[in-house]
Amino acid sequence: MSAPTRREFLARSAALGAAALLPRFALGQAAAPQAATAPATTLPPDMTIARWGGTEVPTDLPVKLVREALGALGGMGRFVQKQAVVWVKPNIGWNRKPEFAANTDPQVVGEIVRLCFEAGAKTVKVGDFTCNEARACYENSGIAPAARAAGAQIVYLDKSRFRDMTIGGRRLKEHPVYPEIVECDLVVNVPVCKHHGSTQVTLAMKNYMGVVENRGFFHQDLPTTIADITRFMKPRLSILDAVRVLTARGPTGGRLEDVKTFNTVAASVDIVALDAFGSELLGHDPAKIGTVAMGAEYELGRMDYRALQLKELQVA
Amino acid sequence: MSRFRVRTPTVRLRRTVQLLVLALFLAVVLAARPQPGQRLPVWLESFFHLDPLIPVVTGLAAHAVQWAFLLSVVTVVVTVLLGRVFCGWFCPLGTVHTLVGRLFERWRPARQREHWHRGQLAKYYVLAALLVLALFGVQWLVLLDPLVILYRTLTVALWPAAQGGVESTATAIYQADPGVGTWRVTSVTEPVYRTVRDLLFVKQQQSFPNSGFVLGFFLFITGLNFVQRRFWCRYICPLGALLGLLAWRPWLVRKLDTGACNQCDLCGLTCHGAASTGPGTGWKPQECLGCLNCTSACAAGGLKFRWELPWRHGLAPERVNLSRRGMLEAAAGGVVAAMVLRASPQARGATFHPLLLRPPGAADEADFLARCTACGLCMKVCPTGGLHPTLFEAGLDGLFTPRLVPRIGYCDYECNACGQVCPTAAIRPLPLAEKKAVRLGLAAFDVGRCLPYAYGRNCMVCEEHCPVPDKAIYFAPVTVTGRDGVPTELLRPHVDPAHCTGCGICENVCPFKDQPAIRVTSANESRHAANQPILGSGSGYPF
Repeated sequence: MSAPTRREFLARSAALGAAALLPRFALGQAAAPQAATAPATTLPPDMTIARWGGTEVPTDLPVKLVREALGALGGMGRFVQKQAVVWVKPNIGWNRKPEFAANTDPQVVGEIVRLCFEAGAKTVKVGDFTCNEARACYENSGIAPAARAAGAQIVYLDKSRFRDMTIGGRRLKEHPVYPEIVECDLVVNVPVCKHHGSTQVTLAMKNYMGVVENRGFFHQDLPTTIADITRFMKPRLSILDAVRVLTARGPTGGRLEDVKTFNTVAASVDIVALDAFGSELLGHDPAKIGTVAMGAEYELGRMDYRALQLKELQVA
Repeated sequence: MSRFRVRTPTVRLRRTVQLLVLALFLAVVLAARPQPGQRLPVWLESFFHLDPLIPVVTGLAAHAVQWAFLLSVVTVVVTVLLGRVFCGWFCPLGTVHTLVGRLFERWRPARQREHWHRGQLAKYYVLAALLVLALFGVQWLVLLDPLVILYRTLTVALWPAAQGGVESTATAIYQADPGVGTWRVTSVTEPVYRTVRDLLFVKQQQSFPNSGFVLGFFLFITGLNFVQRRFWCRYICPLGALLGLLAWRPWLVRKLDTGACNQCDLCGLTCHGAASTGPGTGWKPQECLGCLNCTSACAAGGLKFRWELPWRHGLAPERVNLSRRGMLEAAAGGVVAAMVLRASPQARGATFHPLLLRPPGAADEADFLARCTACGLCMKVCPTGGLHPTLFEAGLDGLFTPRLVPRIGYCDYECNACGQVCPTAAIRPLPLAEKKAVRLGLAAFDVGRCLPYAYGRNCMVCEEHCPVPDKAIYFAPVTVTGRDGVPTELLRPHVDPAHCTGCGICENVCPFKDQPAIRVTSANESRHAANQPILGSGSGYPF
């Protein structure tokens, strides 16, 4: 047999290389977070709601609420293993200042980062696939400075890094997802509770739109695609920031008149329950919210959050 | 012919300065980047403010000059005293020409005598035509000012190309993720890539559709060095001509010891500006770039630069002789060019190009063109990469001036960076609150494509992204009966012209990636009273 031409050689090498890499890709997709195992002693609640019950609101109220909500849920140590790599996924979608409540409260994010480190995390990464230009969103939302101060690593999602992954959903069969998020040991979902023009509310499930590219596709059937990506992401811990809430003209907002202070933070292992609670906060029947209904239909959690092990706290 | 290389400490010093200034220029271009929530430093524009040609030409055309151009007085004073050292020591494009000229030496036919040639007068006529053009309100530095050319080429073509190369290489390695055992190459390449991306390029995937034309012009003028080194500086550059006029009678003059001169012509052979008129004899200060090759090359040590009061030295016989006839012809050329450039219906305000969305704060088209040199600084700092050089959308008059291309990037509601950096205030530096009220154009739905209109499916991406607090895009509910006879509830979006600023984010995010179903055109733009199809505002809309 004659020696291969350069072209043949390159083609064969490429084929061999691709074959060698295939298992790695498959592994990458399977490396999603595992289900939480509850400690053996007392059964911690599935969901906690921390509300401010005092009179004068302290400036670090979000910090207090996060601490209380997480503490009652069994502490961050329930979710973060020693030396874990944690991705904190706030909503940093928009180039807006914190007071407009279009993004997650920076203090909430900062405190969650600190709790992760206290629980023994090795690395905490903070990042979101923003709608406006990333640097502007990260800085102006106050989230990057707050997370940096807490010791987190700020990650800008790189468009060329998204990788097609098998979602296997009803609408999403394959979709580009950010591998670095999927490969983390734990993803802490930290949405802000707010109004949304298309889905009426945007809460924890919809927050997963920040891990995918080509979101235009989602918009043709938001409830189903969001349920698809939520199931793919195997949520373990979601913390809802309802300190300042944008109640109209979301998701971008921009008018202070539309921002209400609810002074509430809720944390849950059940993402559907959390979204049902958030929907009620915004004055909706959860059953009429497409994403929540679809989440329940997918059996990702319970819409009736009051039937869970629920703990409500008055913080003062 | 073997080449004679000058290597003395003086010449080394000059080369070092040239390379340092070029490096500084590159650094200043790279440093121009959006800084969320911060004002951009004024030194990003400093190279332009040192250039006296820009205030002269834009001043004549627009009847306004920025205070910062007082910095160009430094250049003027230095030139009056020392001659065209700006060209020989400082001008970064001049340095590029020097380097390219050296590169070509290997292939160029044996070096000819490069003494002063009448053709070098051309640049003075170019300057004259440019000034006459400016008197008629037409400013055309776009292909003539060296700093503008280099800045734009770097911003629009060379840096994005470098960034593309780095990004695709890093991504290829990232995707293949090769390694030895458990060690991965990406453990090295990824941090390096991240550092380079965050420190040098800042924005992701910057690219410009017309960069090929910008680069082509740059390659053309640098390629002219093959014909003769520093061809651009000798024959074309109007800034060189302006500085040449200022160096008419410099205080630092070249003196020849006629006794020592053996007519070897090494001085002429090594001269950058072709300022020598013959072996060892004459010297035209207007053409001298102060490169000091001649004094360094003179084996007899007969050439020296000395201080001499202008009224003492007799440089008269060696003056550049511009002919009256030539000047008149140049002026006539300028007048004709002004007429031709301004002959288009668009320039006369009779029509408006639908795709010509100017950056926020741009004055009306005529005034904007009188100021904008098309340097590309606004394109460099635009955080979304939405500003792009025009080709002919704005006519030849507006070649390479910035326009917003919403398909590529939108005008961020919270950003006014372009106005902060524009060296000539072609884009006015508007406070953020004022900028938010500026309308660049108006969005309109293509109901033959828009999903809720044409395909019976809700979508809403445009409404979601609309940054205007009152939402310029709103929904009207309708019930439509499909082909199967089943009625469907739909939300159909509409544009409220009273609130739409034409920022283009709706067009940017529309799920149609080929031709968006909502598009922004220049209609309703704040800067033109004649381009306002919408009557009044408030209630009374049909929906």
